[in-house]
Amino acid sequence: MFHFILADLVRNRIGVVVLIILVALATALGVTVTLQERALRLGSARAAAPFDLVIGAPGSETQLVLSSVFLQPAPLPLVSPEVLAGLRADPRVEAAVPVGFGDFVESNPIIGTTADAVAMFGGLTEGTAFDHLGDAVAGAEVKRAVGSTFRPFHGNAGDVGEVHAEVQYRIVGRLARTGTPWDRAILVPIQAVWDTHAAHHHDADEAAAHQHGHEDDFAAQPVDNAVLDGDANPGVPAIVIKPKSISDAYNLRQQYRGDTTLAVFPGEVLTRLYGTLGDARRVLSLVATGAQALVAAAILMVIATHVLQRRRQIGALRAFGAPRAVVLSIVWLETFALLAVGLLTGFAIGYGATHALSQRLGEASGVAMPVELNVSDAWMLTAFLIAAALVTFLPALIAYRQTPAQALRS
Amino acid sequence: MLSLAVHKLEIRYPGLPAPALDIPALFIEPGTHIALTGPSGAGKTTFINIAVGMERVRSGKVEWDGENLAAMSEGRRDRWRARNAGLVMQDFHLFPGLSALGNVLLPQRLSRFRLPGDMRSRALDMLARVGIDRADQPVETMSRGQMQRVAVARALVGRPGVIIADEPTASLDAGSGEAVASLLLDLARETKATLIVATHDARLTGRLDRILQLENGWVRG
Repeated sequence: MFHFILADLVRNRIGVVVLIILVALATALGVTVTLQERALRLGSARAAAPFDLVIGAPGSETQLVLSSVFLQPAPLPLVSPEVLAGLRADPRVEAAVPVGFGDFVESNPIIGTTADAVAMFGGLTEGTAFDHLGDAVAGAEVKRAVGSTFRPFHGNAGDVGEVHAEVQYRIVGRLARTGTPWDRAILVPIQAVWDTHAAHHHDADEAAAHQHGHEDDFAAQPVDNAVLDGDANPGVPAIVIKPKSISDAYNLRQQYRGDTTLAVFPGEVLTRLYGTLGDARRVLSLVATGAQALVAAAILMVIATHVLQRRRQIGALRAFGAPRAVVLSIVWLETFALLAVGLLTGFAIGYGATHALSQRLGEASGVAMPVELNVSDAWMLTAFLIAAALVTFLPALIAYRQTPAQALRS
Repeated sequence: MLSLAVHKLEIRYPGLPAPALDIPALFIEPGTHIALTGPSGAGKTTFINIAVGMERVRSGKVEWDGENLAAMSEGRRDRWRARNAGLVMQDFHLFPGLSALGNVLLPQRLSRFRLPGDMRSRALDMLARVGIDRADQPVETMSRGQMQRVAVARALVGRPGVIIADEPTASLDAGSGEAVASLLLDLARETKATLIVATHDARLTGRLDRILQLENGWVRG
C-alpha cells in the first residue's frame, strides 16, 4: 500500500511539491503572526522586569516608561532635586537610580545615572564601575572596548548632532547582559551629564576658551554623590526605584502619585499597551486566517479534482481485488500525508522566520525577543492535523462510494 | 476451475426500456474456454462486470461453484474477486510509477496484510513465463504488447479459478495480439482455470471451446 502511495506521489512530484509549498507558506504566515506577537510581548515584558517602579514628573505614563525602560528619546519634564534626595534617604527604597538622557554616541544612548545602577542591572562582566566624571560603563551590546574613549553628541541617535567637544569619556567597565534596551546604552555619572549640559548653556566663546582646561579637570574629578542628596542640581527626568518589598512598592507609588510627581509600575503600563496591541494582533490573525482559508479551499479543489481524475485508476484497484477500505486508506493517506508534510514544514518555516525577524528586531531595538513554543502551539498543530485528517476524508469518500464498474466506465 | 450458473439474471438501467442483460439460464462447465461475442452495446462488458461482481445484481442469481454473487455485499464480492478472479482488460490498467513486478504484486499486496512467502518468486516466474525479462522495468516504458503481458501475469499470479478478459487483444497489433491470445489460452489450460474472453477477434474466438453470442442483452446459440 505504501509502495503504491509512494509511487503515485513520485509520479506527480511537481504538483505534490507545489501543494506542499502552498500549504507550508499559508501555515508559516499564521505561525509567524502568532509567534512574533508573543515574542514582542514577552520581550518587552522581560525588558521591563528589572524596572519595578519608575518615578517622573507629571505627564504621560506611557512616555515615562518608553523613555526610561526602552530609552526612547523624548523631552521629559524634570523632577525637582528634592524628590531624588528624598527617595535616596527613604528606608523603603533599596536603590533609587536617576536616569538622565539626551546624549548619544553613534546609535548608543548615553544615560546619566549613579553607580547603583550597575548593581541594579546585575553587575559587571568586565572592568569597574565609574569613580570619576569621565568614566563610563558600556552595556553588553555596545561595540566599544573597555579602555576606549568617545565624545558624546547632543541630540537624537543617527541625527547630525552637536558634539560636546569639551567632554571625553573613557569606558572603564561593561555591564552584564540584561536583555533590555539598556544593553545598548552607555552609563555615565549623572553629575557629568549635568555638567556637560550646564557648560552647553555657557556662552560659546567662553566655552571654547575654557575648553582645554575644562576637559582635563572634568574627567579626573571624582564622582561626588553628595550633590544628589541636596537640591543644588537641575533634577532628572526619571528615577528607577528598587523597593525593599512589594508593599513598599505600592506605598511608594501611592505616595509619589501627586501634583508634582508621577509613579508607575512599567509592567502595568505595558499591560495596558498590549491591550491596544491585542486588537492589532486580532486583525493580523484574521488576515492570516483568511489567507489560510483561501489556500485550504484551493487545495481541497485540487485534491478533489485529482481524485476525480483518478476514478478509473481507483476503480481498477478495486477491480483487481483491493478491498474498499484499502482504497479509502490509500486516497486518504496520500492526501493527508501531503497536507501534514505541508503543515509541519510551515510550522518550521514560521518558527525560523520568527527567529530571523526577532533577531533583527532585537538588534534594532535592543529588546531581546524570545521566540518560544508552548503547549498552545502543540494544540494548534494537533488541531490543524485533525482538521486536515477530516477534510481529506471527503475525497477518500468519493473513491469509496463508487462501484468499480462505475469507476471504470467513467 | 470454477463453474458458472446464471439464473433469471436481468439488468436494467434507468431510462432504458429494454434490459441491458436478460439471461434466463446459463451454465458454464468448469475449465471451459468461452468466447463472448456480439456487437458493441450488446452487453459484453455488463456481463463481465456482473460475472466478477463489480456490479450489483438486483434480480436473479450468479453462482460460481454455488457461491451466489447476487446475494453478497460489496465487500464480500471484492474479497471473492480478489480470491477467485483474474482480470485482463483492453487498456491494461497498469499503474505507472511501479515496475512490472510491482504491478503484478500490487493486487496481492493490497488484498492481504502480508504477501505469502512464495508470492514474489511466483510473480517472477509468471513474468518470465509471459516473456518479460526485466521484472524491474517501469511499466510506462514498455510497449503495448509487453504491457498486456504484464497484465496477464498479474491476472494469473494469484492462481484464479476463473480468468476473465475483456477485449485483451483489441488495442494490440496483430503480432502482439496473437502472442497475448496464445498466452491466455495456454495459461488457462495449464492452471485449469475457466476462461471467459469478450472479443471481436475471429482468430481468437476460433481457438476457444464455446462461443456465447450476445445480442441486445440476450444470449444466442
